[in-house]
Amino acid sequence: MVSKLDRELLRDNIRSRGSKLSATDRENIVKPYLPDPSELPRWPPQRRKKLPRKKPIRTFLKSQLHLITYTLLHIIFGIAVRLVQSYHAVVDRILAIVYYHHRTPELIRKDVKGLDRLPEHLSVILSLRKEDDALPILMDEVAELVSWTASAGIPVLSVYEKTGALKSCMPILHQAITNKLSSYFGSSQQPTLQLFAPHHPVYKKQQDRSSPQNSLVVLLLSATDGQETFVDLTKTLAEMSQNGKLSPEDITMELVDAEISEITTQPSQEVSPGFERSRHSFPSVKPEPDLLLVFGPSLKLDGYPPWHIRLTEMYYTGVNSDGMTGYGDTVEYQGFLRGLWHYAGAQMRFGR
Amino acid sequence: MATSMHLSRLRNWFLASPPIEFAISRLRELLVGAIRQGPVPQHIAFIMDGNRRFARTHGIETVEGHNLGFEALARILEVCYRSGVQVVTIYAFSIENFKRSKFEVDALMEMARVKLSQMAQHGEILDRYGAKVRVLGRLDLLRPDVLAAVNRTVEMTKNNGDRVLNICFPYTSRDEITGAIRETVSEYSKPLRSTRSSLSLQRTPFSEDHITQNIRARTNGKLDDFSTEIDSVSESSTLADDDAQRTNPHNDVYQSDTALSSVTTLHMAEKAAQNRFPETTTETERPVFKSPETITRQTLTDHLLTRDCPPLDLMIRTSGVERLSDFMLWQCHQNTEIVFLDVLWPEFDLWHFLPVMLGWQRKVSKAKKNPDAEGNFDGELQESGEESRDELVVSPEIKAKNL
Repeated sequence: MVSKLDRELLRDNIRSRGSKLSATDRENIVKPYLPDPSELPRWPPQRRKKLPRKKPIRTFLKSQLHLITYTLLHIIFGIAVRLVQSYHAVVDRILAIVYYHHRTPELIRKDVKGLDRLPEHLSVILSLRKEDDALPILMDEVAELVSWTASAGIPVLSVYEKTGALKSCMPILHQAITNKLSSYFGSSQQPTLQLFAPHHPVYKKQQDRSSPQNSLVVLLLSATDGQETFVDLTKTLAEMSQNGKLSPEDITMELVDAEISEITTQPSQEVSPGFERSRHSFPSVKPEPDLLLVFGPSLKLDGYPPWHIRLTEMYYTGVNSDGMTGYGDTVEYQGFLRGLWHYAGAQMRFGR
Repeated sequence: MATSMHLSRLRNWFLASPPIEFAISRLRELLVGAIRQGPVPQHIAFIMDGNRRFARTHGIETVEGHNLGFEALARILEVCYRSGVQVVTIYAFSIENFKRSKFEVDALMEMARVKLSQMAQHGEILDRYGAKVRVLGRLDLLRPDVLAAVNRTVEMTKNNGDRVLNICFPYTSRDEITGAIRETVSEYSKPLRSTRSSLSLQRTPFSEDHITQNIRARTNGKLDDFSTEIDSVSESSTLADDDAQRTNPHNDVYQSDTALSSVTTLHMAEKAAQNRFPETTTETERPVFKSPETITRQTLTDHLLTRDCPPLDLMIRTSGVERLSDFMLWQCHQNTEIVFLDVLWPEFDLWHFLPVMLGWQRKVSKAKKNPDAEGNFDGELQESGEESRDELVVSPEIKAKNL
């Protein structure tokens, strides 16, 4: 650490646009803070012979001291982490009791009513567990999330799951979500659901669009929609370039953006031509998510498609899967709600 | 108000007094040495956010805030390199930042120029202690004098030890990814054997590429067990149909690009016609390219600006804003721990950094102790997928050589 006196000297120098001190002056100021040459890991061998390692006992003691400090630090830090975790676990339980959706869209709407802003496109990262019935659990989680999202009035939800297991059973998933929605909304006011994944057709029930504000788009993503998409795009572009249809200079950010966005917006089924244009006028179905919720103990993207998250706010629920809270319930309503509060910049409140 | 100012002055005086200063610097040394005993991330990225807000809240000029931010950077770099981090990447200036006030942009540019040229003056010290400095980004957007300083410093430090400081100067991640794609494409469109005369010829259909692509699609389908329906159809169909199916999604991609659509559709029609009659073209005349099928994620990663850096382990953003703001999107989307800290960058110091490091070390050692704690299943799946892909990728290359 540079002492205050020297810091002031250097700052003064900066203010005068680097004219006050010469290069040697600055070197003299900095020199005492540079590490001892013998401590450097990669020292040229011919010099090392000239400077024999002085005071081996002292170095040994020093490294032992560092090791002890390391252990102590981690013990203390571990205790602190445990304390914080248990505090959060308690808060989570209280919130889970205070805020429960009771499968009532009105209650959910009331919970998010006071928020300043809601994301227009919510994205969640879920993970498939290792148990035998992992897929049904995952589908149930997705169905719950869809119901909450629909109730909160968020028009687009994208669900990322690394392995892509969800994409392989879209008809069943659609059925599961529809069932869950009808248990929330009743069979009459159910929002129209459009379920789709990149390179897959839309799954949509054929019914009249009675309430357009009450429709929901669910997008399924997996690891193949991430970097692999760019690989595919590059392959195509390389092929075109080899055939002389395109020169590498034509590849601009706009081109890549258009191509990549195309995949995650609505596929070309019935709405395609009008949809492309309406995407710009209605920002409601935009490819960039506003909020990314990670249901897990730490913020890791785990292969999430990289292109669209540049301005996405990220939030992780911090639910620990290794103990106290149990294993089965990582996707919880209170976590969802906390994410929304966080996005709106609101504090969590005990009591509705 | 007055008392708090007196208190803070007293505190500053106390902290600046020689014995305390000595004690604090010893403590820092001890802590850094302690961090070094455990696993240390190899590559850390920082988004240095909050200089302007710090200046605003403390009633100083924005430029002064940036200067303080630079001091914080120097502090934290010292901590990082001493504790054994190999590569530090900092987000110094975004391409978007050119939209800020001209005064501020100029001041930032001036600061970069002064710092870099000052660095270049200390040749000897830099050689002994310095890290490799690299500037990543769109250097063509810089002023010539700044660019000269950049080049001089990069040139001077390029033979330094194994520590690296990446300064992302006018940088956005999207620009970087686009650049990587562009470079890959131009690399792949250089003919391997120069038979220039036949450059205008179309590529022959039914090349190994298409077949490998088909095989790959099928194996992928089996491995990942999605899109099984399409594959089961294609298995029963003839090869020609299969090929047509494969080109269809590509067709969509081509046509969506408005600028090129009229040309490409023509070509595509031609190509489709050729697909039906493969005998019409001869193989000997076409130029030989590297097969696009050999492009993998690794190929793209190797064309990024951070190509020789270890994978990003830790990403830290200060000032409580919880976005990536177009920084290292490609690099940090796999296994990077992203940390958002609610502290402004000029205040950022070891005391904020230490808990992050400890938390990271804790997670890493936990994961080592218990490797199948999470995602064992997908890990296996991923691996087998990669392996088969590699095998398939090798084959067209060999065939190309045999030609």
